[in-house]
Amino acid sequence: METSKGISWLNDTETILRFIKKLIYELPELEDQVTVLKEGDLLFSQGEPLDFMYLILEGNIQLTRTQPDDTEVVLITLGAGSFAGLIAFTTGEPTLTSARITQKGLALKMRPQQFEQYLNDHPRLKHPLQQLMLNNMIQRYKSNLRLQTKTHALSKQLNKERNDLKVAYKKLEDTHQMLVHQEKMATLGELVAGFAHEVNNPASALMRAAENLVEIYAEFENNHYSYRLFKIGLHSEPTDSNTQRERMHLIEKKYPWVHERSSVRKLAQMPDEALDLIDKHRKKGELNSLVNHFEAGKMIHNIRIASQRIINLVKSLKSYSRQDQNKEELADIREGIRDTILVLSNRLKFVDVELELDNIPKTCANMGDLNQVWTNIIVNACDAMNGEGKITIKTEAKDRFIIVTISDSGPGISEDILPKIFEPNFTTKNNSADFGLGLGLAISHEIIGQAGGTIKAHNTEEGGAEFTISIPVRNDC
Amino acid sequence: MDHKVYILVVEDELEVMDALVKDLEKFEPFFPIETANTAKEAKEVIDYVLDHGHTIGLILCDHVLPGKNGVDLLIELQSDPHTSISKKVLVTGQAGQDDTILAINKADLDHYISKPWTEEELEMVVRDELTDFIIEQGKDLLSYMQILDAEKLSEAMRKKKMTDH
Repeated sequence: METSKGISWLNDTETILRFIKKLIYELPELEDQVTVLKEGDLLFSQGEPLDFMYLILEGNIQLTRTQPDDTEVVLITLGAGSFAGLIAFTTGEPTLTSARITQKGLALKMRPQQFEQYLNDHPRLKHPLQQLMLNNMIQRYKSNLRLQTKTHALSKQLNKERNDLKVAYKKLEDTHQMLVHQEKMATLGELVAGFAHEVNNPASALMRAAENLVEIYAEFENNHYSYRLFKIGLHSEPTDSNTQRERMHLIEKKYPWVHERSSVRKLAQMPDEALDLIDKHRKKGELNSLVNHFEAGKMIHNIRIASQRIINLVKSLKSYSRQDQNKEELADIREGIRDTILVLSNRLKFVDVELELDNIPKTCANMGDLNQVWTNIIVNACDAMNGEGKITIKTEAKDRFIIVTISDSGPGISEDILPKIFEPNFTTKNNSADFGLGLGLAISHEIIGQAGGTIKAHNTEEGGAEFTISIPVRNDC
Repeated sequence: MDHKVYILVVEDELEVMDALVKDLEKFEPFFPIETANTAKEAKEVIDYVLDHGHTIGLILCDHVLPGKNGVDLLIELQSDPHTSISKKVLVTGQAGQDDTILAINKADLDHYISKPWTEEELEMVVRDELTDFIIEQGKDLLSYMQILDAEKLSEAMRKKKMTDH
C-alpha cells in the first residue's frame, strides 16, 4: 500500500514540482540558481554547445528547429515541470533545438557539469529530480510514439492524395486535349465557312461564264450543223478509257484515212449521232473544225459539271461546318448525315454507302457537333475497310428517342479493345498524322453525352462494326 | 517508226482525264497516248503495248485510284524491268508528304505535278522526262528534235559522236 502510494506520488509532476519548489526556498544556495524567464528571450540556440540546463518552475518555453531550407518548425511547448536542454545534457552534444520563452516565469538554471554535484550535495533533491527527468523522458517517448503513428497515417493519406491527384491530372490533361481539339474544330469551322464563301464567288463566275459561252456560241454558230455538233458535245458524257479504246478501233476501221491518233480519239468520243453529222457535212468543212465544234461543247460541259461539283461541295461544307457552332437548333439530323457524306465523298469514293433514313422528328441539337460524330465514325469505318466496302446508315424514331445506327463491312472491333474505344487517346492507327489524335470517339462520346444520349459499339453477326447512337427528342431550344 | 514510245495516263475521273489528254495532244504524233481509269486497267494496257513490241516512255499517274493507289502502282511498275525504265510522274490533288516520299524512294518518281496544273507546266515536265528517256534508251535522237528539248538532244548527240570516235 505504501509503495503504490509512493509510486503514484512520484508519477505526479505537479506534486514533485511543489516539493522541489519547497526545497529551493529552504535551501538558499539553490535559490541562487533560480533565474527569471523573460518573455521573448532566447534561452539557447540550435547547434550551440549547452551551457545550462533548465528546469521550468513557472512559465512556458517553446522549442523550435530550423530546417535546412531555413523554415522554422515549432516542435513543442514546455511548461512547468519540464526540462529544457535535457537531450543535449544526456548526450553531451550541441543542442538540437532553440528555446524561446513564450510566457514569463521562473526556472532552475543548472550547469550540466555540476548536476551530479547538486544531486550529491542535496540528497533530498536527488530522488524527485531524477523522477522528474524520467517523467520528462516518458512524456517525450510517448509523444514520439504518437508522432510516429501520425506520420504513418499522414504518409498513407499523402499517398492516396498523390494517386487521386494523378488521376485528376490525367483527367485534366484529357479534358484539356479534348478542349483544344474542340477549339481547333471550331476554328476550322470558321475557316471553312469563310473559305466556302470565298470559293463560291469564283465558282459562280465559272458557272456563269460557261452559260454565257453557250449563248455566245449559239449566236456565232447559227450555221446549223456545227451548232448541232456543239450541242451534242454539250450533252455528251465522257467515256471511260476501255470503251474509248474499243471505239478507237472502230473509228480506225471506219475512217482509214484519219491518221492522227488524237483525231481518232476525238472521233471515238463522239456519239453516233455526231458521227452521222460529220459524215454528212465532211465535204463542206475540214474534219478538224467539225470535230472542234463538238470538242467546244464537250469542254463547256466539263466546266459545267466541274463548277457544279465545286458549288455542291461548298454548299455541304458550309452547312456541315455550321458557323454558329455553339448554338442548339431545331433540326433534322438526317440533313447533317447527308452533308457529312458529301463532305467525305473523297474518302467514300470506293465505299458503297447505303442510307435507310426513316422519318424522324426534328430535335434540338448542335448540328455541327453531331456532324463531327458522324464524321468520326464514318472515317474510322473507312480506315477499317481500307477505303473499300459498304457502310449502312439507318435512322429511326423510338419512344421519344432518335436512333442512328452506322455499320460497316470491315473486320469489326476486336473484343479486347471494344471496352476501351471511347477512352481518350485510344487509337488503333499508328499514323496519327493521318486524321486524328485518337480523340475522335472520345469526343463523340462527350458530344452525345452532352446531348443527353448514348453511344454504343458492338460487332454485327456479319463481322463488321456497328455504332448505335440514341438521342432524346427535345423541343426546348 | 514501227517501234513506238507510248505515254500512259492513269486517271479515274473522266473529265480530268479528258483535260490531261487534251493538254498532251501535241506529243501524240510522236508519242501515242494510252489511257487507263484504274490500276488494273493500266497494267493490262501496259501488257498490251509491250506485247506489240512498243515501250512505255512516260507514265502520268493520279494519286487516288480505285482499288490500288497511284503510289503503289508506280512502286509495282518500278520492280518490273520493262517499266522500271519508264519515266514516272505523279499527278495529284492531295498526296500527303509521306506518300510522296514513299513514291520518290520506292518508285524512283521522276516528277510530281500537283493539281490544278497549267498546260505549260505539264508540257515542260513531259518534254523533259521524254527527252531523258529517249537519250537514256539510245533512240534515234534526230527524229525527236522538233518535239523534245532540241538543245539537250544535240548535246547528247555530240557526246555520243565523241565517244564513238
